[in-house]
Amino acid sequence: MSEYSVIGKPIKNVDGVAKVTGEAVYAFDMTLPNMLYGKLLRSPHPHAKIISIDTTEAQKLPGVKAIITGKDTPGGKWGLWRRYPELCDQTALATEKVRYIGEPVAAVAATSIDIAERALDLIQVEYEPLPAVFDPLEAIKDDAPLVHEDFENNINATRHIEWGNVDEAFKAADYIREDRFTLSSQHHAPMEVHNALASYDKGTGRLTVWASTQSPYFLQLGLADALKMREGDIRVIKPHVGGGFGGKNSTMPESVNAALLSKKTGRPVKIVYNREEEFIATEHRTAMNLAIKIGLKKDGTILAKEVKIITDGGAYTGLGATTLYLAGTFITFPYKTPNYRYDGFRTYTNTMWSSSMRGFGAVSTVYAAETQLDRAAHDLGIDPLEIRRRNAMTPGYEAPGQYKVESCGILECIDKMKERVKEKWPKLEKDEGIGFATFAYMSGGIFNWIDTPYAFSGAMVKVNIDGTVDLFTQASDIGQGSNTVAAMICAEVLGIDVEDIRLHLGDTAITLTDLGAWGSRETLMNGNAIKAAAEEVKKKLISVARMKLGENIVYDLVVKNKRIYLELRPERGFSYYDIVRDAIKENDGEPLIGIGHYTPHNKGMISPAYGMGIQAVRAKVDRETGHIELRDVIVVHDCGQTINPLGARGQVEGSTQMGLGFGLCEEILMDNGLIINPSFVDYKLIRFRDMPPIELIDVPTYDPEGPFGAKEAAEATASPGAAALANAVYHAVGAEFDTNVLRPEKVLKAIREKEKKDRAGK
Amino acid sequence: MANYRCPCCRKITSDTMDLARHFLGQTDRKHKDWLKTKGLSYAQLIRWQGTEFGNKGYKALAELLEKEAPRVE
Amino acid sequence: MKKELKFKVNGEDYDLWVEPKTLLVQVLRDELGLKGTKWACDSGACCACTVMVDGRAVKSCSILALQVNGKEVMTVEGLANGPELHPLQQAFIDNWAFQCGFCTSGQLMAAKALLDENPDPTIDEIKIAMDGHLCRCTGYNMISEAIQDAAKRLQAQKQQEGGK
Ligand code: FES
Ligand code: FES
Ligand SMILES: [Zn+2]
Repeated sequence: MSEYSVIGKPIKNVDGVAKVTGEAVYAFDMTLPNMLYGKLLRSPHPHAKIISIDTTEAQKLPGVKAIITGKDTPGGKWGLWRRYPELCDQTALATEKVRYIGEPVAAVAATSIDIAERALDLIQVEYEPLPAVFDPLEAIKDDAPLVHEDFENNINATRHIEWGNVDEAFKAADYIREDRFTLSSQHHAPMEVHNALASYDKGTGRLTVWASTQSPYFLQLGLADALKMREGDIRVIKPHVGGGFGGKNSTMPESVNAALLSKKTGRPVKIVYNREEEFIATEHRTAMNLAIKIGLKKDGTILAKEVKIITDGGAYTGLGATTLYLAGTFITFPYKTPNYRYDGFRTYTNTMWSSSMRGFGAVSTVYAAETQLDRAAHDLGIDPLEIRRRNAMTPGYEAPGQYKVESCGILECIDKMKERVKEKWPKLEKDEGIGFATFAYMSGGIFNWIDTPYAFSGAMVKVNIDGTVDLFTQASDIGQGSNTVAAMICAEVLGIDVEDIRLHLGDTAITLTDLGAWGSRETLMNGNAIKAAAEEVKKKLISVARMKLGENIVYDLVVKNKRIYLELRPERGFSYYDIVRDAIKENDGEPLIGIGHYTPHNKGMISPAYGMGIQAVRAKVDRETGHIELRDVIVVHDCGQTINPLGARGQVEGSTQMGLGFGLCEEILMDNGLIINPSFVDYKLIRFRDMPPIELIDVPTYDPEGPFGAKEAAEATASPGAAALANAVYHAVGAEFDTNVLRPEKVLKAIREKEKKDRAGK
Repeated sequence: MANYRCPCCRKITSDTMDLARHFLGQTDRKHKDWLKTKGLSYAQLIRWQGTEFGNKGYKALAELLEKEAPRVE
Repeated sequence: MKKELKFKVNGEDYDLWVEPKTLLVQVLRDELGLKGTKWACDSGACCACTVMVDGRAVKSCSILALQVNGKEVMTVEGLANGPELHPLQQAFIDNWAFQCGFCTSGQLMAAKALLDENPDPTIDEIKIAMDGHLCRCTGYNMISEAIQDAAKRLQAQKQQEGGK
């Protein structure tokens, strides 16, 4: 294999200096001259008819410049499942009825936030409360209130996957077990709240929006649908983003209402959520009821799996239907499952809706599958690592009609883990346990429910006369480091330094379409587009160099270290700078530009490549209090060829933190549709002192579809934390759980149950 | 070989299980109303299919479709 | 009724009139345009807004602007020496101690206060001092490592200066 100059090296974040000096500008920091401040009036009812809205008093308040209600909007509906118009269910402001606590019913623009907030208090809304439904299992009953009248039994989306012969396989199994889980939601809790600044140009009828978003393109589409405008008349710009984690994919009311208010007032309008709004009125992880049945041979080989999931969708669709789809897929990973059946249903309920969150479809399902597998291994007397080993996928593994896994290092990951654990944790204290969980995730999705006619990713490279490069890409860096990866890939192809590249980012008017930062898609998909764009330029440079050399066509040329030379005789060649100058000058001044794009083809229905691995958690349980102490974590990871080891480690660390939070402390508490812990005081994130050290071991593979063999590194490791933690507790004290947040009272209860069982068994 | 047509739309398939899968995947009123006239509840089928193992919902529906779905050549 | 506020920010003298209910974070961001200081919660529970007041780490969202009258405030914008980054800033970059960067200015200011007081902290001491500084991106370990790295750099710097 050739030696890379940039790929695989620990390259510092290209936004580093901006971010440590406070110079990085986020949408949150932006203002425009003459700007107004917007605020949204939100429903206090989970389900109610809107009888009337009276804004007279509020209008009179000095400083109030505009107030709009549902009837003032163009009435456009939008959503991310644009292939299915009935699933485009979001509106700017509720008109007939409200469907969750926090749904906006009116929007105000005023000269200050204070005035806008006072105006909200003066708006009179008369509601007629309707019976509401919060539990997905209640929602599907025939007599349940309907959240959307056209969706009977509140079924929002369904998914069935089946291969092999499940019923026959279960008959052949030596061991069968069924487990049921209730898996809770989780909040993204990005440090930057949702906010948007909209500026409508009266002269041209065009709109510009700066927003904290993961996908400028999705937002452009959402705004076009909502405002009934042409896509091309809307320009979305994504400045630095203070975290997304799946919560900033949907177009949300703040952007749409800022745009509507700007259109109405002719002035720029900014809407910023406060932290409470962020908790009650932005998307969160999909909670679900999950039943899983597994059939194994005595030796631990998986023969069949059957999985049932009913998710709590909340009031609208978001990316929740995608979650349902992915859940049915990733609960099989990373094991060979010859016979499989999945039924998933997403229900509408009267709560803030659930959508995508880091590792969506995998985090909750991995919890169920991996805790169940440990119980099965225990019953069969097989070592937890051994049972995983026996079933691990191998390169080229295919699930008929669904997915094919090309590069696949899971076996090696498990073996490395076995070695490392033995070496590192030879002895355990009393009530201390080690838990394992495997994980896998996609490198971008293949599905196109957004219905884009464009390539999934595009990029443009322009080389200037002095050899410096302008790289145009819509790959969304929301903190994960894709800007650095983008520059590295471009630099590698052109044989230059990362510092030679200036990035032009996240602006729908000047960058080629990219679907955005979700499903771990930027490295593989946008990376391929950037690579193709840079290669187009490289080809031009090589042909100029070849002409100058007058060499036989069979000789290969290399572009590296700012030189272009013969591979077999490196001394014969030219400086990169000279060739760039010649390429432009001798071609009638034609700009040196390369355009690249990427869309996966013939790669199944899920993803072109999968990152995967295994995690171990060592934890100690206090039998008296039920408190769990996280002690140590090991992650063995196959993300193909790592592009940037610094950034990849950052992703694993951050993902692990979120995964452990899902298992230890993060829980959205709800009472009749009201979220009762909407603050950082009451919603507990993992903190400095909770966080155990993480050892990361890399198992390099090469994926033929990835740029330089790279694949996903951002999300897979969010999945195993909770499962590995629960398994550690299981091995420490024998307690089993059917939910994920292991608060002390739950741990205590599970210990008591286990003791009872043991006594009865004696 | 005879094929089955969905009694509520134009879907044609050779297998009643497959037709049942199609049927439960439809969220419109037409399919649900037809079920009601045959004494089956959509909610019940969903509950079977979504919470119990063994394809109970599809099997019940497939049985019904075997009897009721029009055949086409 | 507005009241007079005289204080120093990053070495500059300021004299302004503010409403008594105005928070320090509001004056810094909205009046002085120092947007490196972030604001991320309404409950004083995330520490993203941390600045230094007379050398101590303070949450600028939890203190009235008038409370810093006559005092010296330092924000992230004052950390670098012109174009030359502070060792903490460089260590944060070298150790990938931020991702989205939204919590970073608060982390840096708290870390500076910590190292001013304890130039050679252990990882546990760092965790205790920094606990409460929420970061949703990094998982904290790389921040702790960066702070230790910066401590080493600062000590080396001091030794060099002392040797001169
Ligand atoms: S902004 Fe959260 S503590 Fe100040
Ligand atoms: S770097 Fe994003 S919150 Fe800390
Ligand atoms: Zn039909």
